[in-house]
Amino acid sequence: MNLYLIQVLNGLGIGMIYFLIAVGLSVIFGIMNFVNFAHGAFYLLGAYLCYAIAAATDSFWLALAVGPLAIGALAWAAETRFLCRLYRVEHMYQILVTLGLALVIQELVVLIWGPIGTHVSAPALFRGVLSYGDFAYPKYRLFVIGFSAVLALTLWLLLERTRYGAILRAGTESTEMVSLLGIDIFRLFSLTFALGAYLAGLAGVLAAPIRGAEPFMGPEALTIAFVVVVIGGMGSFAGALAGGLLVGVVQSVMSSLWSEGANVMIYVAMALVILLRPRGLFGRT
Amino acid sequence: MKLSRRKFVKDAAAGAMLVGGAPAMLGRALAAEKVKLCSLYPLSGAFAGVGKPGDVGAHLAMQALAKDYGLDIDYVSIDSEGNPGRGVAKVLAEIQQSGTKFFAGAILSSVALAVGAEVHKSGGVFFTAVGADEVTGANCNRSMFRWSVPTYGAIQETVVPLIAMFPDAKRWYTITPKYVFGDSLLRNAVDVFKEKGIEHVGNSYHSLTETEFSGYLTNAAAAKPDVLLLLNFGSQSTNTLRQAADFGMKNKIKIVMVWAAGLEQYQEIGTDVLDGVYVGCQYDVTIDSPGNKKIVELFKRDANRIPSYASVGGYICADLIMRGMKAAGSAEPAAVIKALEGMKYEGPTGNEEIQAFDHQCVKNYYLLKGKPAAQKKSSDDYVEIVSFGKSFLTQAQSLCKMA
Amino acid sequence: MLRRLLPAPAMLASIAAVVVLPLILPSVAMATEVVVFIIATLGCNLLLGYVGLLSFGQAISFGVGAYACGLALIHLHIGVWGGLFAALICSIIAGLVVGALSIQKRGIYFVMLTFAFSQMFYFIAYAMAEVTGGDNGLLNVPRPPLTVFGVTLLSLGTPLSMYCLAAIVFLVLFVFLHRLVASPFGSTLIAIRENEERAIAVGYNTRIFKIIAFVISSWVTGMAGALYALFLNFAPLSNIDVSMSERIIIMTIVGGTNSLFGSVLGATFYVVVGNLLASVWPRWLLVLGIILIVVAGYLRGGLWSGVEWTWQRLRARWPVAGAVEQREDRGGA
Repeated sequence: MNLYLIQVLNGLGIGMIYFLIAVGLSVIFGIMNFVNFAHGAFYLLGAYLCYAIAAATDSFWLALAVGPLAIGALAWAAETRFLCRLYRVEHMYQILVTLGLALVIQELVVLIWGPIGTHVSAPALFRGVLSYGDFAYPKYRLFVIGFSAVLALTLWLLLERTRYGAILRAGTESTEMVSLLGIDIFRLFSLTFALGAYLAGLAGVLAAPIRGAEPFMGPEALTIAFVVVVIGGMGSFAGALAGGLLVGVVQSVMSSLWSEGANVMIYVAMALVILLRPRGLFGRT
Repeated sequence: MKLSRRKFVKDAAAGAMLVGGAPAMLGRALAAEKVKLCSLYPLSGAFAGVGKPGDVGAHLAMQALAKDYGLDIDYVSIDSEGNPGRGVAKVLAEIQQSGTKFFAGAILSSVALAVGAEVHKSGGVFFTAVGADEVTGANCNRSMFRWSVPTYGAIQETVVPLIAMFPDAKRWYTITPKYVFGDSLLRNAVDVFKEKGIEHVGNSYHSLTETEFSGYLTNAAAAKPDVLLLLNFGSQSTNTLRQAADFGMKNKIKIVMVWAAGLEQYQEIGTDVLDGVYVGCQYDVTIDSPGNKKIVELFKRDANRIPSYASVGGYICADLIMRGMKAAGSAEPAAVIKALEGMKYEGPTGNEEIQAFDHQCVKNYYLLKGKPAAQKKSSDDYVEIVSFGKSFLTQAQSLCKMA
Repeated sequence: MLRRLLPAPAMLASIAAVVVLPLILPSVAMATEVVVFIIATLGCNLLLGYVGLLSFGQAISFGVGAYACGLALIHLHIGVWGGLFAALICSIIAGLVVGALSIQKRGIYFVMLTFAFSQMFYFIAYAMAEVTGGDNGLLNVPRPPLTVFGVTLLSLGTPLSMYCLAAIVFLVLFVFLHRLVASPFGSTLIAIRENEERAIAVGYNTRIFKIIAFVISSWVTGMAGALYALFLNFAPLSNIDVSMSERIIIMTIVGGTNSLFGSVLGATFYVVVGNLLASVWPRWLLVLGIILIVVAGYLRGGLWSGVEWTWQRLRARWPVAGAVEQREDRGGA
């Protein structure tokens, strides 16, 4: 059963990254009812900023600290400048504008760094494998699991124990009520959007040493995010976590059982969830 | 006469477009004087990384060699956008618009096969460097030529020498992309395994868009192979290799990447990961042949870059079309095709020849090994040649039945 | 009598477009490509503009139509009518299956569901590689002449002839869709888009209406796919990829969802400007992205609203008394 243990570990690692990508999208949709097709582009930027900062300063940790913040700031700027105009319009315009933004970001990445992918080394501290007899596992992936778990806990504390978190949770239930209570809804939206982008960027930074950085990695992150958000439930933090881990582990285990089908299984699961239990694992209706 | 405003506006708009479009119509009326050579590469979209070098190589060939051959070539570059539908539509448009007869390039096999069929219908010549067997196999036609070695040769020149080099490595595990092309590589590999008594301890298929290979690698490791044979390519092979190195598999298992993309891919993988890994490639800059020396100098002089498989692939396809024109003494496709069939020439890999029965170039395929950082002579010196050779199916074995 | 068939302006406009395109575009092939995507965009426009359903399943019908037509021509040797008919049957079936399942959900869930189905069909297409050619695509789709009782109507051997086929199919479908949206059925669809609860309250079985609309949209898109396969002699896997759905949706919104003629504008704009930009700058997607942002932000009615605005200005300048006008409601051209 060693094989399955490792597959589960693999799944947890990828699942954590999926969670980080999805939780932002989920909250953005839950609170703002805004479909964000640019979410994958934030992930892409995260990976490239990791590459750029690590290449310039030789420090992955600096990239981890600074990169996502920069992306959050960029997202804040985009939201306050023009995305905020589109909250009341139909979803199709939101999809159009965020698709456009995603294309712009992707092409800018190609303009700056070229169309060929690059590799990003894991931080020196976590290079190599952790050996235990026959069992060997990359230290970096263990770091990703650990770090993301800590991050998840921090996010949970943010949601449950802080005022902002309370407002956020209330916002997923009803933004009207929240604004009637005198809270600046638009400020809330901007913060939420920036937070979502920050987390997606963070996911990109963490994923870069595992799968490198290449300009067309945005759509794959977006697709996975949609699947996880649907399965976990829109607007739900717990849903994003459970959904992400579930999808990650299922994908990993499936690669031992039915490798070509691993990818399509998650779409079948997605369709089934929408048809049979639309609110997902943890979402509200 | 009652004038509907709507109709008026629309007619006025149509009239304006007609006036503006007159130049386009006029342009089509004037016949082109120079010979047009059209290259087709993905310059935008997901394959731009491989497409751009190909385009650069083709353009370089035309600029540097056309005059030497006594030809007046007009070079056109089409962006296939990495989308077969758009690529073929643009080729059709080019054929209709300018009567272009000579095409070179393509990165995706689907594009090459479809373009080959269209060019054949319009009576032109298409020279490509894609990998699908069908190009000079089941789907061969008189207009299509291919420079690169297909799957049979790629497997023969990588797997067979390695088996000879490591006689104790009997257990091989394969990772295969679920592509038609991946299946071709696998089929050839399994044939060799049977012939040489290798134990094929397992195979993992993966989908076209996979980026996470930890699951397949874990599977592979559990089967305790001596050699891990990667039959995928592009960014998928890069990621598989990278993740295999992450899992520490390089220490215990020999890793072989059968279909490497060349220098750009080595740069993407990085020295540390590539160290000790065996790769198969169509071309390498260190090839010791007069043809290659000339190419290396040309690239340095005109483009200030080191040639890679992607760029040399583009270069040689354009070059061979021009050589065909020169040998035929005309730009008439039928004559060029006749001249190309059976042509022997000094190519990047040494003496090369274009087979008449299937239009496949007979050339070497290389087995290379990644160098450790200490042995690199320059920052782009990633691999060294281990062995090479020419392996091709005979006419009897080939699926190509050209009329 | 002709007037009753179709309002003159819309008919003339579409005929004018179809006549003008091969003349002003640099090649007939590009014009054919434009018309194919106009048809596909019409299918999407019906769903999006008139029922308010944003479906990522356009690629399913497009791809299924292309494969069905191609396979019928290659294996069944039944001629162009047969190919188009096969595409009709298969795209209707696909539309029925996907539609019946997806319609149950609304809003973002509908979008995500169609997205999931699109991925599943993509997987099926490449898994059935012996049938569809997998990632190599379906090659060597023949293009036999279009005959009726042995009489050749269109040889389809020349580019112009192929274009004529596409143009005729477009005109037929355009007239059909026009009649459809102007009919009580069309009004019901618009009512469902505006307020589905009210439509249900009034007594309409909105589910059935939505499914029928989905099936019709799927059929129209499938016809586009079939023509594409004939045009390219090739049905690639990319036809059934989600990015094809994205492309069609972009064409629909950019053209304008308030009018069927918007589809003509949107598809023409995307194909022509896309080709033009791509030949000039490999990073043309950047420009496309900016265009999308501008349209979503400032020109939500799409190019059609731009045309309407121009026309309003011209009317204000040159009022012509007594001219018969088209009803301005959203069902008209």
